[in-house]
Amino acid sequence: MNNAYVFPRYVVLALKNLRRRIVRTMLTVAGVALAVAVAVSLGGFMLGYRGAIDRSIDMLGFQVMIMAKGCPYEAATMMLKGGSGLLYLPQDTYTLVRKDPDIQSITPVFIGIAQKEGSGIRGNDKAEKNFSIISGVEVESFQSMKPWLKMKTGSGHDGGRWFTDSATKEVVIGFEAAEYEQRKVGDTFYVSITPAGGVEPVRHEFKVVGILERTGTQDDGTVYMPISAAQEYFNRKGELTILGIKLKEFNMFKMKDFEGRWLKLPSVQVVGLQQVKNTLINLVATAQTMIAAVAIIAVIVALIGVINTILMSVYERTGEIGIMKALGARKSDIFELIWLETLMICIFGAIVGSVIAVVGTGAVETAIKSITNLGVSGSIVQITPSVIGYAILGAVILGFFGGLYPAWRAASMRPIEAIREGGA
Amino acid sequence: MNTETIIEAKNLKRFYQRGIETVKALDGVDISIKKGEMVSVLGPSGSGKTTLINLLSCLEAPSEGTLKVNGKDVAGLSEDNLVEVRRGVLGFVFQQFHLLPTLTVTENVELPLLFLGKKPDPKHTQNVLEMVGLGDRRLHLPKELSGGQMQRVAIARALIIEPQILVADEPTGNLDKKNSEAIFDLFRKLCREKGLTILITTHNLHLGYQADRIFTLEDGKVVNIEERK
Repeated sequence: MNNAYVFPRYVVLALKNLRRRIVRTMLTVAGVALAVAVAVSLGGFMLGYRGAIDRSIDMLGFQVMIMAKGCPYEAATMMLKGGSGLLYLPQDTYTLVRKDPDIQSITPVFIGIAQKEGSGIRGNDKAEKNFSIISGVEVESFQSMKPWLKMKTGSGHDGGRWFTDSATKEVVIGFEAAEYEQRKVGDTFYVSITPAGGVEPVRHEFKVVGILERTGTQDDGTVYMPISAAQEYFNRKGELTILGIKLKEFNMFKMKDFEGRWLKLPSVQVVGLQQVKNTLINLVATAQTMIAAVAIIAVIVALIGVINTILMSVYERTGEIGIMKALGARKSDIFELIWLETLMICIFGAIVGSVIAVVGTGAVETAIKSITNLGVSGSIVQITPSVIGYAILGAVILGFFGGLYPAWRAASMRPIEAIREGGA
Repeated sequence: MNTETIIEAKNLKRFYQRGIETVKALDGVDISIKKGEMVSVLGPSGSGKTTLINLLSCLEAPSEGTLKVNGKDVAGLSEDNLVEVRRGVLGFVFQQFHLLPTLTVTENVELPLLFLGKKPDPKHTQNVLEMVGLGDRRLHLPKELSGGQMQRVAIARALIIEPQILVADEPTGNLDKKNSEAIFDLFRKLCREKGLTILITTHNLHLGYQADRIFTLEDGKVVNIEERK
């Protein structure tokens, strides 16, 4: 293609050639589109999940957690998303640790899982497994750790406030929990708690004294009550789930020092949130590898489909290719024409696949979340222009290599043999 | 007719290997064609007429012998070099038309210009189409044309580059008598009015004898040359 006039004509010619077997072309494009959609969704998931983990953990408000020895994965997930099998540490730990000179601020948190009472608002309440994460907090230290938590205002929410530490029948609920239960300030919130050592859940009523603004984190689905009340209801007096800690100076060395000092306590583990991030990323790494393997297989199948389609097209047009060569087409002309057709199929496929991935983001997100608890709130699939850009680039590379063999086959045909084979 | 020689072949041979057997498709042909001459090559199937025309038009290389086309020695050239000899000099018409079905008549006719990197001149295209009697069919698709019209499009496609030599291998093989005669009338007109050198192979003796010179082949050898006044 030796000048600006020729290239657009080649593009038109390639397009018209592809139109000749429109169903076959569309099926091949669909194959590429499917592979690209999987790849874009996977890329979006990898990117979005990391972002969601960063966001969720940063919004915890602290850099270090002290918790009972056990599986740090479970503990990390619990902090972010809730779960079961909580371990507790003695409240004395709080008394000891808070004296550490490197600590800027510290807050004790008690987490318990309660069963939601059917409010009657949602007809399917009984059919669903509805649980509430109950977070017992010490208001002042918790607020200083999460200064961005604000009470919602407006119709039905005015007068919202935090409870006092001595209150026993008051709760503050997160934005999503309030939306789900359709609760306003002053409403009654019902919840059933199974106390430690007990078998049957006990129904409790609380007054909603405040509803939090949306944060886009796990806080939106949490129900807060004073720590002493929570310990009481769960029959775990003198026990905590975690200590959230912000250090005066946070770096690897300070963290090591701090860890060294407190790991000597029995039944205690010190977990840095960077470690939690890595843990959570590792948790889904296997799943991501499997999805990536599926995506690679889809790409290979699509590539074989593209090569097959173009080869069939080349064989069908053997006579025409012979005529073109007789009429003056060089090897390079035929090569570029066939190669362009391959590239076009891949680029169309990439565009269609990207659109499918963008449109289907919600469905992919719902599907992933329904399969596994990823430990984060908010959007976990984030399809950015760069993800789409990489997908299209990948498709171009796919077309680049996929087109080489058919283009070479076509270019290598000797004109007279091609015309003879093509029926001339 | 010009007396300048445009194609000259001496002791032209072409062998093919078929298993262990060597087939002599052409066995020592001497031929000389002048500019503006219309030459037909006749002979039964397997006599070597298509092989001869393929060699003379640089579509394949001879196994032995010398061949000059348009002043260039082409014997022994590879396909990459032969295409350079063909480009812009030779136009081809075959029994099968091989028009691109998704291109209009005009687009099909202008296709060779694309490979030469030349921008088509609509006036020139229209003139060529009118010359072959398809001035009113330029936007039609091949499927909307008759066999005779499709062969005319193929002829226009060969003529668009203004070649010095038009090579037609069984150009009327798929046409009825009326269309066959019309195509030969067109060839004679192109030869007479445009000074085009035309090489034709045909089974049809009646049509073949309308050329200026008639070469008859048998078993890869020229057995008779006739010249029409």
